[in-house]
Amino acid sequence: MTETQTQTRSTGLYVALGVLVVLLLGAATRFLEKNVPTWFEGDFAKAIEYPVYAIVLGLLGNAILTATGWRERLEGGFRTEFFIKTGLVLLGASINLKVIVTAAGPAIIQGILLITSVFLFTWWLAGRLGIDDKLRALLASAVSICGVSAAIAAAGAVQAKKEQLAYTASLVIAFALPSIFLVPWLASVFGLTDEVAGAWIGGNIDTTAAVTAAGALVSEDALAVASIVKVTQNALIGIVVIALTAWFAFKIERTPGAKAPGIGEFWARFPKFVLGFVAASVIATWYLGTVSSDEGKATIAVANDLRVWFLILAFVSIGLEFKVSSLREAGWRPVAVFGAAAVLNLVLALGLALLLFSGFPV
Amino acid sequence: MKCMTEPPTRQESRTQFNEDWAATIIGLVLLVLIIIGVIPTGLIP
Repeated sequence: MTETQTQTRSTGLYVALGVLVVLLLGAATRFLEKNVPTWFEGDFAKAIEYPVYAIVLGLLGNAILTATGWRERLEGGFRTEFFIKTGLVLLGASINLKVIVTAAGPAIIQGILLITSVFLFTWWLAGRLGIDDKLRALLASAVSICGVSAAIAAAGAVQAKKEQLAYTASLVIAFALPSIFLVPWLASVFGLTDEVAGAWIGGNIDTTAAVTAAGALVSEDALAVASIVKVTQNALIGIVVIALTAWFAFKIERTPGAKAPGIGEFWARFPKFVLGFVAASVIATWYLGTVSSDEGKATIAVANDLRVWFLILAFVSIGLEFKVSSLREAGWRPVAVFGAAAVLNLVLALGLALLLFSGFPV
Repeated sequence: MKCMTEPPTRQESRTQFNEDWAATIIGLVLLVLIIIGVIPTGLIP
């Protein structure tokens, strides 16, 4: 066996072990979610929902694996993006197609206004603080669109360095973790309806997994609206990435003979799971029209149970993936830019959610 | 001179898009299996 083959085999083994760790922590989350309310009396234990257990267990697992030197080896198995996207496709099955169609209009308006204003503000502020152009593009994409996915797509477009991507991803998660608890709490303090709270969560919180966690903490209706808003923002990544590719090729780096990106580039950058989300809604809406109400509800409940499993695995992975070290390396400037942009995003998203989603029927 | 320390991140973007398709296909296959009864009620813990 050659050295490369041995290396590939051991990498595959570590990925499998990483997935096993995620599954075990996911099972522990499910166990705690079911049993903690029976162990303790009172409403507090009942109020703690699965995203909280999953993230806390993920962070604990992270601390243990980091201390024992295993985290880096197993991180190939912490597939947050895959788990969340599969969970979102399954979530499509519990949302009637009519709701998606009705929400698409306000969600697109909210997405375009938010992405444009937050992106330009972040780009401007990062420029004022003298941050490198590639990191500016990554930060602006991450904070204005959808966190880690947008940062990865933007990194491909502007040919950013690996460490810049790792840094931006860590920053996204560092800001998303408190938002998961802060935004639902603020929504309850402000007395927002579930629909407005969902639109606020979907518009404001950067990473898709965190949006789903926060939406689930409010209610199923809030989760539905939050997901539609976030999925719409995901779908807009393609447009931003094309603009960035052209901007960097023609203005920043002035690549000789650079061609303008076309429809092929847009399709390559389009997040395909958005199609799965809509397809699942179409399939489920059609299916529910062909069976009795009780049978339909029981079947969709199975899809919901499976969806919760995938979301739990995604939240556990968020906790496992979080790295403090890459945050320390880049200094205070990007943190200040990201923080200021996050505050602007919070305020703008609330205003737009109130304007566009008040009285929205779910 | 650009990107001396690390190669650019094309690889990450490729992985990302493969995960997109994988999530879409697996999610829809699971949904169809649930609808046709291969994954019955009560099987998911």
